[in-house]
Amino acid sequence: MQKIYTPPGGNGKVMENTVKDNNFIYDVIVVGAGHAGCEAGLAAARMGKKTLMLATNLDTVGYLACNPSIGGTAKGNIVKEIDALGGEMGVNTDKTLIQLRMLNRGKGPAVHCPRAQVDKYKYHAEMKKTLEGTPNLFLRQAEAAEVLHDDEKVFGVKTAQGLTYYAKAVVLATGVYLDSRIIVGEWINDVGPNGFSNAKKLTASLVEMGFDVRRFKTGTPARIHARSVDFSKMTAQPGEPDMPPFSYMHDSLPAEQHDCYLTYTTSVTHDVIRSNIGRAPLFSGAIKGTGPRYCPSIEDKVTRFADKDRHQIFLEREGLDTDEIYVQGMSSSMPADVQYEIYRTIPGLEKVEIMRDAYAIEYDCIDPTQLYPTLMYKNLKGLFCAGQINGTSGYEEAAGQGLVAGINAVRYIDGKDMLVLERSNSYIGVLIDDLTTKGTNEPYRMMTSRAEYRLLLRQDNADTRLTQTGRDFGLVSDERYERYLKKQAELNKIKEILSTQRKPKDFRELFERKGEVVPVGALTYAEMLRRHNITIFDLKETFGILDGISKQALEEAETDVKYQGYIQKEKEQIEQFNKMEHRRLPDDIDYDRIGGLRIEARQKLGKIRPRNLGQASRISGVSPADVTVLIVYLAQNKTDDE
Amino acid sequence: MKQTDMIAAISTPIGRGAISIVRMSGNGVLRLASEMFSPFPASPSLLKLGTLDAGGFCDKAMCVYFKAPRSYTGEDMVEFQLHGGYAIADGVLKNCVERGCRLAVSGEFTKRAYLNGKMNLTNVEGIMDMIDAESVAAVENGYKMLTGRLDGKISALQDKLTDLLAQIEVALDYPEEDLEYITNEQIGVSLGEVLGGVNAMLDSVSRGRMIKNGVDVAIIGRTNVGKSSLLNALVGYDRAIVTDIEGTTRDTLHESYIYGDVKFNFIDTAGLRKTDDVVESLGIERSLKAAEKADVILLVADGQVPDEYAGIKEDKRAIVVYNKNDVNTYADGSVSVSAKTGDNIENLKKLIYDKVKLGNVSSGDVVITNVRHADCLRRAAQGIKRSLSLIGETLDCLALEVREAWLALGEITGTSASEDVVNRIFEKFCVGK
Repeated sequence: MQKIYTPPGGNGKVMENTVKDNNFIYDVIVVGAGHAGCEAGLAAARMGKKTLMLATNLDTVGYLACNPSIGGTAKGNIVKEIDALGGEMGVNTDKTLIQLRMLNRGKGPAVHCPRAQVDKYKYHAEMKKTLEGTPNLFLRQAEAAEVLHDDEKVFGVKTAQGLTYYAKAVVLATGVYLDSRIIVGEWINDVGPNGFSNAKKLTASLVEMGFDVRRFKTGTPARIHARSVDFSKMTAQPGEPDMPPFSYMHDSLPAEQHDCYLTYTTSVTHDVIRSNIGRAPLFSGAIKGTGPRYCPSIEDKVTRFADKDRHQIFLEREGLDTDEIYVQGMSSSMPADVQYEIYRTIPGLEKVEIMRDAYAIEYDCIDPTQLYPTLMYKNLKGLFCAGQINGTSGYEEAAGQGLVAGINAVRYIDGKDMLVLERSNSYIGVLIDDLTTKGTNEPYRMMTSRAEYRLLLRQDNADTRLTQTGRDFGLVSDERYERYLKKQAELNKIKEILSTQRKPKDFRELFERKGEVVPVGALTYAEMLRRHNITIFDLKETFGILDGISKQALEEAETDVKYQGYIQKEKEQIEQFNKMEHRRLPDDIDYDRIGGLRIEARQKLGKIRPRNLGQASRISGVSPADVTVLIVYLAQNKTDDE
Repeated sequence: MKQTDMIAAISTPIGRGAISIVRMSGNGVLRLASEMFSPFPASPSLLKLGTLDAGGFCDKAMCVYFKAPRSYTGEDMVEFQLHGGYAIADGVLKNCVERGCRLAVSGEFTKRAYLNGKMNLTNVEGIMDMIDAESVAAVENGYKMLTGRLDGKISALQDKLTDLLAQIEVALDYPEEDLEYITNEQIGVSLGEVLGGVNAMLDSVSRGRMIKNGVDVAIIGRTNVGKSSLLNALVGYDRAIVTDIEGTTRDTLHESYIYGDVKFNFIDTAGLRKTDDVVESLGIERSLKAAEKADVILLVADGQVPDEYAGIKEDKRAIVVYNKNDVNTYADGSVSVSAKTGDNIENLKKLIYDKVKLGNVSSGDVVITNVRHADCLRRAAQGIKRSLSLIGETLDCLALEVREAWLALGEITGTSASEDVVNRIFEKFCVGK
């Protein structure tokens, strides 16, 4: 008989399940099967660990509780990064695509961001199928009630149904389900998104473990029936058929894409909202959680931006096998009768049939500064947190964290170095550094402006940046790695070809046609490419070069050449940045004993326990003078050692 | 070695003087000083006369101490005011070291003040400028930097760039909102405003240099018009050799003179005259160069201004000085002096002073005197100029340049102080002290 994993410590907890066999012993338990949970579970199982995923309801696996859309500014880059590291979100998006577009086309490659509309039902079904088909991965419907631990580390999870599961590492990816309630006007219901049952007991366990629990709020708009919409009063917004797929594993998109529709609120809409504002829970005090500034409800927008005479509304299909439509921009917690009044003032929605009410949702989450940049809890070994429990917002942010937490749960068990992504190599790195260094007082959304080096953190080069890392950590499959190597070889080949020189007579015709001044001397292809009006595809066509090389590689190479000056500049900045980033602060450093630190800095440094000088310098409340003190301290201690 | 170990140094210049000061800072200096000095002052900031036992000898001295954190360095500090002369101060310092102090390295007191949060980056540089200062105006400017006026000015410019960046970023991060995105014209206007502010501060760099290092005044003119006599009259003693022989001054001579709150650096040059004498023609070349770099040019003549000086006469830095008014008579409205009798020399000094308009500096704007500040401002200006040239191109690159300008300004206020900046400051500080 196999040895039972006996809980050490014996901290007075009674183990209730009588069935003590192998079915209850795992390496990793992931609590939650949303976007963070799915990536965490898949990563752990794919890295060879026996992994249990618990969800309050297995119909919520990979559920898109808000908009049926993946990607967008900065978020699209995160999806690409997840994909490059061997995650699932990009693959699943491609499989369930309704349309794909590139945002910010006119604003430069640093901010090109893909955004997909997906079929939310298919997205769930495909993700569930993937989980079910993954060896080592076990899905179980159950409400996690308590994290089991001794003074030092976690060792399992007890369910509300009374079963106990043992594991060496636990990933909490509870989303917005912790003690959540949804609010539609005066109607308040203690449930999770879309009426799914919530998790009522786990918060107490978090508090017991020392987490600082806060309450955040977010919301979602109504779902309406397509037949009640007059699309002729709206602007159709088609997808872009020629886009590269989200995943580096795919070569092409499905042939058929479907339109979204654009309309606006009117001054009548705003009047209706204002005359009913007394019934808005947001203003009556019924809602206490902190909501995001960037994703306000329509009543919030109308109140805060009173001088704006219209707000934009997008209509997005929820799926191809349903007539439900998501009304982006119309999130609300107004009473159901007022919602009808509001929606019907919008051109095209005069006869709207609401199928599901808009609602606000409040939920418990933790202070992410209590986590290391590995996403492991500072007070208990083996406990990781990922996704909205960490105070973020958005599927993509959640999935990125889930992937890192899943990888690190495995690395922790194996006693190996954990994965910490850097601000200089990924948006996921920026995300986790911001969360664990600065914390957040509202649901955190990724934006390109949060990244210092966004010309390097592009959506087209995520594989170049991260796939080798994913491979080193054991998550990148052979197939993905081969595709990566092939593209790298293509990039090298392009580089070589582009260094070839041509005489003016060879490119005169092209330059004149494109309105470029023809120089006296010869130019390399790269030099030609730096001209404003010359694209890499012009060169390919005119000179018959670069044949058989993928479009993705060509586009990445083109940006690298055209923006070489800026990219070089960012690389130099990263070198400076890394000087601070590579100055490690010892784990056992006692900030109370370092003379010269201001009290606030002492407290903040003691709480965050930064890994290096760079991270220390980003903590709010730590001044440049404090950083200088640390520099001196490090220098002095080094002298002592030598 | 801990941050609070005891350091000691002689804080007055080496050489003959009425008194010299030895000071100490760090944990334990109060105990140490109370063993050396009696009666030890009863409370901080109290200057007390008593007897100092320096081991080998005793002497009357004054002692004052400051309690952490209310001291210059933010640590416990003690100052001994001793009789002048090197031997006494050196003996006391040696005794301090014997009792456990370490010799302070250059700039260490101020470095500790900085590290203990007693001053920010610009404050430190302000102190450095005060120490380097050679005149009252320079000290006042250093003081102004110390009180944070430079910070305020820079922060205001940074603030404008922050606004602009926010407007650009919102267009990039929220491309699908129904917002009124910033237009290229608006970007141009905002950048223009900040550039104006940065340039105004850069313009003050030369004024800053004049405040700190003095005003360079070149004395030029034909041979034998009395340039050297004028120099001697201006500084008040014979510095230059004066003869009746043409071309006596063959090289340039430098002499400084404090006028009010400004220092004049007079440069006496060889007369301009066609010559075959190699030494003299070299001198003439040098004199032209001196005139080129000078803040003020005194063009000396003893009759009509000769044609070869017509260009210089029109230079806005030039003052035409008609010498020998004890012999010659000049038309009204010109400056006529007599280097020989001293007539009108004081007026000439005031004219020089007014010419560089430093007179109102002490009540006027912040003036940039610090090389690093000037460098940061220059980089900020370049960043903004590059941003301006990118208007109409993609916003991602434009934002990158604006951000760089912002960071350059941040280096002055310490809002983005990197390790290198701090290191450079203290490198420089060692030189200054």
